[in-house]
Amino acid sequence: MLKTPDWGMMIVFYFFLGGIAGGSYFTAAIADNFGSAKDRPVIRIGYWLSLPLVLICGILLIADLGVPARFLNMLFMFKFWDPMSIGAWMVGVFGLFSFLSCVLSLSSSEAMVTLRRKVSLVGTLAGFFLASYTGVLLSATALPFWSEARLMGALFLASGASTGMAAISLLLFLSGGSAGEGWGKVKRADRYSMVIELVILALFLGLLGSAAAPIIQGQFAPLFWGGLVVVGLVIPLALDFVGSKAKALSAVAAVLVLFGGFILRYVLLMSIQA
Amino acid sequence: MARTLAMFTDISLCIGCRACQVACKQWNELPMEDPEWTGTYQNHAHFTDKTYRLVRFIEKPQADGRLQWDLMSDVCKHCAQAGCLEACPTGAIYRTEYGTVNINQDMCNGCRYCVSSCPFGVVAFNHDTGRASKCTFCNDRIHNGLGPACAKACPTESIQFGFRDELVAKAKKRVETLKGMGFRGANLYGADSNEFLGGLNAFFLLLDKPGTYNLPDKPKLPQRNVFVDSLLSVGSAVLVGLGAIVAFRERGEGKGGGGNA
Amino acid sequence: MTTNLIDIQHSDVIMATSNMAENHPVGFQWVMKAKERGAKLIHVDPRFTRTSAVADVHVPLRSGTNIAFFGGLINYAIQKNLYFKDYVVHYTNASFLIDPAFKTPTDLNGLFTGLEQTGKGGPDPHVAERYNQGSWKYQLDAEGNPKRDLTLRDPNSVFQLLRRHYSRYTPEMVERVCGIPKQKFIEAAQLFCGTSGPEKTGSITYALNLTQHTNGVQNIRALCMLQLLLGNVGRPGGGVVALRGHANVQGATDLAVLYQDLPGYMAMPFRDRHPTFKDYLETETPKSGFWVNKPKFFVSLLKAWYGDAATKENDFGYDWLPKRASADAYSHQHIFVDMYKGKIKGFLLIGQNPAVGGPNAKLAREALGKLDWLVVKDIFLTEAAEFWKAPASPPHREAADPKSIKTEVFFLPAAPAAEKDGSLTNTMRLIQWHEKAVDPPGDVRSDAEFVYQIGKRLKKLYAGSKAKRDQGILALTWEYGDKEPDMLQVLKEMNGFALKDITDKDGKVVYKKGDPLSTFVHLTDDGSTCSGIWIYTGVTVNDAEGKLVNRAALRKKADEKDYLAHGWGFAWPANRRILYNRSAADPSGKPWSEKKKLIWWDAEAPGASPDKKGKWVGMDVPDFNAFLAPEAKGGDNAYIMRADGKGAFFGPLADGPFPEHYEPIESPTKNLLSKQQNNPVAKIWQVPDHRNDLAGVGSPDYPYVITTYRLTEHHLSGVMSRYLPMLAELFESHFAEISHELAAELGITNGDMVTVSTPRGKIHAKAMVTNRFKPFIINGKKTHQIGVPWHWGYNGIAKGDITNDLSATVGDPTVYIQETKAFLCNVKKGVV
Repeated sequence: MLKTPDWGMMIVFYFFLGGIAGGSYFTAAIADNFGSAKDRPVIRIGYWLSLPLVLICGILLIADLGVPARFLNMLFMFKFWDPMSIGAWMVGVFGLFSFLSCVLSLSSSEAMVTLRRKVSLVGTLAGFFLASYTGVLLSATALPFWSEARLMGALFLASGASTGMAAISLLLFLSGGSAGEGWGKVKRADRYSMVIELVILALFLGLLGSAAAPIIQGQFAPLFWGGLVVVGLVIPLALDFVGSKAKALSAVAAVLVLFGGFILRYVLLMSIQA
Repeated sequence: MARTLAMFTDISLCIGCRACQVACKQWNELPMEDPEWTGTYQNHAHFTDKTYRLVRFIEKPQADGRLQWDLMSDVCKHCAQAGCLEACPTGAIYRTEYGTVNINQDMCNGCRYCVSSCPFGVVAFNHDTGRASKCTFCNDRIHNGLGPACAKACPTESIQFGFRDELVAKAKKRVETLKGMGFRGANLYGADSNEFLGGLNAFFLLLDKPGTYNLPDKPKLPQRNVFVDSLLSVGSAVLVGLGAIVAFRERGEGKGGGGNA
Repeated sequence: MTTNLIDIQHSDVIMATSNMAENHPVGFQWVMKAKERGAKLIHVDPRFTRTSAVADVHVPLRSGTNIAFFGGLINYAIQKNLYFKDYVVHYTNASFLIDPAFKTPTDLNGLFTGLEQTGKGGPDPHVAERYNQGSWKYQLDAEGNPKRDLTLRDPNSVFQLLRRHYSRYTPEMVERVCGIPKQKFIEAAQLFCGTSGPEKTGSITYALNLTQHTNGVQNIRALCMLQLLLGNVGRPGGGVVALRGHANVQGATDLAVLYQDLPGYMAMPFRDRHPTFKDYLETETPKSGFWVNKPKFFVSLLKAWYGDAATKENDFGYDWLPKRASADAYSHQHIFVDMYKGKIKGFLLIGQNPAVGGPNAKLAREALGKLDWLVVKDIFLTEAAEFWKAPASPPHREAADPKSIKTEVFFLPAAPAAEKDGSLTNTMRLIQWHEKAVDPPGDVRSDAEFVYQIGKRLKKLYAGSKAKRDQGILALTWEYGDKEPDMLQVLKEMNGFALKDITDKDGKVVYKKGDPLSTFVHLTDDGSTCSGIWIYTGVTVNDAEGKLVNRAALRKKADEKDYLAHGWGFAWPANRRILYNRSAADPSGKPWSEKKKLIWWDAEAPGASPDKKGKWVGMDVPDFNAFLAPEAKGGDNAYIMRADGKGAFFGPLADGPFPEHYEPIESPTKNLLSKQQNNPVAKIWQVPDHRNDLAGVGSPDYPYVITTYRLTEHHLSGVMSRYLPMLAELFESHFAEISHELAAELGITNGDMVTVSTPRGKIHAKAMVTNRFKPFIINGKKTHQIGVPWHWGYNGIAKGDITNDLSATVGDPTVYIQETKAFLCNVKKGVV
């Protein structure tokens, strides 16, 4: 009887990349404000990863519209109770912070560094928002399962964190920076995020009860349990504990986390739109 | 704000002729679609982007051997608290001075959030135009002293149009009359502003429970949980943020970072 | 219909035997209004339809058993003393005495007295039997007036014969024959027969559910008799609600598009019965009743057609009229059988689509291929227009092979109603004028222009001819304009006007030459008036200033003073909305009750002349002489069109003076009422090449009853609906409605394709498995019935198989209408 919004792969990627963008940014911001000079690679990669991703996110959102040329119409409104409305604004706001933080990170003058840290601290809020709001957006619809999932935003945020941190660590590994101290810290942060994510996931399923059927039973169940829970969270956590010795394994773990993050968005979006 | 207008669909008078369905298509110049086989006379299971008024046919054999065949002309409810309107990020969905809800086709950018935000599954996306569309409450007609095309076409006056307060008063009397005639299940759906969604500006007289007509018993505004969901997200952010702080914080060097970047 | 759709709101009980909500939805609003006033609705129909959905009682009856049902009600009303005795005694022929030699089917095991073998062949040697109606007459007294027994007790009284005739139609019999559970029948009988009496009235609707049978005319008679018995005819909220099936079919039959009539329901002359004008008038004019005026109507008609060429000396052109060779000829079915046999060379097919809409449609399409030429005038390329390239419908129908068809086909596009001026006469005899809204595009022309131009060209072609058969065409008055005829001028001629100054007996000029006549009472038989159709006289009149008023174009709405809306359009005859309304008052002229008053005698009102007093007044035009006092001679003759002025229980027709139940020609059971299986004088055509094979009684090869019908969303053969996107999309496909029980037996689920077959043909459609069909128990045996709408064809936007390929070429003996409402079929799952 009810209708789905027919949001396909473009939106799955938007959710996924937006999570990484927000997650990598706020990781960089927190490292910038609470870490040390040794965390510089993490900070740099975090900021500079978020910028192209948020640009891609913007393009995906615009392209998915029925009339893409009218995307600016969303700036006619600001409905703070409407995730879609604030979301349209915040993508831009976050982009602005990402850009500022990136530009400011080019300079090593102390004044710029201090400014950068202040800007990023504020921008962290935008980063949290970008990673999580799409979950709140889904649960503010009339569709069963989505509308009953109170923890969807919280889950997306945790996933944004885990995938953002995994992305940073993967890029660090590929650029040869895994020898630095920053690698260990971002890995540690990632492990904390993954545990938080698993806990929230358990609460998420618990609160939903039988309403979670679209993802825990039927054709999407293998992807959910296998792709997200096992391959995307449990195995990488296990690998990571081992991989403090073998960095390559840790890097593989990061890839798996990214994979799991993608599967999470895919399953949540597609399971009731099939 | 002008006086609120409403459509009152009294299904006890409906003969399922579908003049309303066709009059609506004709007035709005909606193109033909491929009909669906539903196993009944109904030609679409639900509203589409090109069918704004849909007559439903529901066969219900009764315990006493009688057959009840419910004929119901369904339409957008023009809710006083409308999920689609609250969801629309461009403001294309707006409420007219008459209380009706309309989608401005010149403004809609086709994000489709409204499609998923209607508790009744009314709003649909038109793939040809790239915009969302639904019953306009014949916006052009009501701004020119006329009523909706469906109400005009209905031969038995099952669809009535007028000021909401007058129609509600009439509808309440009608329920009593029907109960007196033996229709014990007669009830109004959406007439009472205190019941749900602030009341519906297209409300119904049903002869049975709402579920019989695939209507939700107590429809709710989809945006009601945004605050709670947001708080829970903030909680998640706090946890994740604390975890990251703990992971990156230098022992013995205090907060605020140190050294040069 | 004898009454008026608006008046239905005053019924206390409405028995819809037709599917009124679906096929007359706009008229149905008055049924809903009646219900809002507390009326009850009974729906009698083998299917549970959208009418049943809003009915208080649904009475399911097997298709083809209407007389058993009505007879059951008549029997019930008589047995339970529920009939309106005063009405019956005074306003019907129930009290009249019949020749004692007459016997009913109760005594003669299904037959009436007088069935004979014709033996003499005639146009169709297979009409083996007909009734000699010699004993079907009143006993007369010395003055030649019918003898009566007002106590209704004489065994030869019509009433007692009626009682005896329907004594077999018990509720138990109704259950066995119709499949109506006895309790349900009694519930309906109590409810409806409870409307008899002064305080209540009931109306009965019918449409093709009653007409399309081999006892179609008798079906309607049975309904009329029930209404007379209950005293419902001519009273507010009563009457016989005949629901015509097109916007203007009433107009079509009024204007004698049918073969057996002249406009205004006069007989089309026969060669043998009416060789001369004098023979016609003598044979056709009764000695009493309003038809004594027939010569005036007939002469005025001839003057309208032939104008100055029609004179007293040449019998007003009577010899120019075509004359029928036989009563058993010229109907639709006759034409197509003759066409198939190659007897017809050319055919003008205007606004009709027999390739889909006629019975035995496959035969019809093959028949069209035997013509030399065919002209189709229609709004779209219909199946009939393209019969010569009908596509295949595998596996049962091969594509038509144009190479083997020699017919030359012309298609002339026709203008629909909005593109031309004209009038429509609807089911309540209401003539409504409409004006052209847009010009027709391109080569599209109205039917009137087509006919008018043909007439002009024929006149030109025959100019100077001395051949006898050309004189009629040459004599026609045929000047209505240049290209397109002026339809208002045509309407004025239909109404009738004075052909010279007409004065009253004091010499005062009542009509100047050319003035429209205001009433048919002013028509003359001396050639001083013309009228194209006497029943329409009054539709165009001059106002006080002498300006023409087209009453069909008036649009004054109903109000409290005039609920019948006399100011909206013009209802024939004489703008009378409820016919037979004398019977709304008792013999003394008082309304039967205050609640049911319509017209009454006002003894103090000014009379016909200054020295007289007394007039009938009220809410409608009195259906008789308004100045005739109730107690005067003939003052209680409520049925003025009949010679005896009384409603007829005893009404001789080709198949009997009383309706008797016979099974449809294809039936699942033997007749339980008598040994006579079918209507003994029904018409069954013999068609070569097995084109009209019939299933035997209770045939195991065709075990299911099938009925065909219409839907709200489509119109007839689909020409006015399947070509329009907004209507074509309302149904996903052609379908057959079958019960869950039958579906289970055949392994069919909702949406499966099924094959429905009869000895004439086969179709494929989707099965719509529904609770709205249930098997009947006929004589203790489970009998399935299915239903198939017949709107689909191979052209248009919405396409499907042609349901009428299944029906047969059989007909009612009086009017030869087909039996498409009840025959036999087989159903199989899948496309076979």
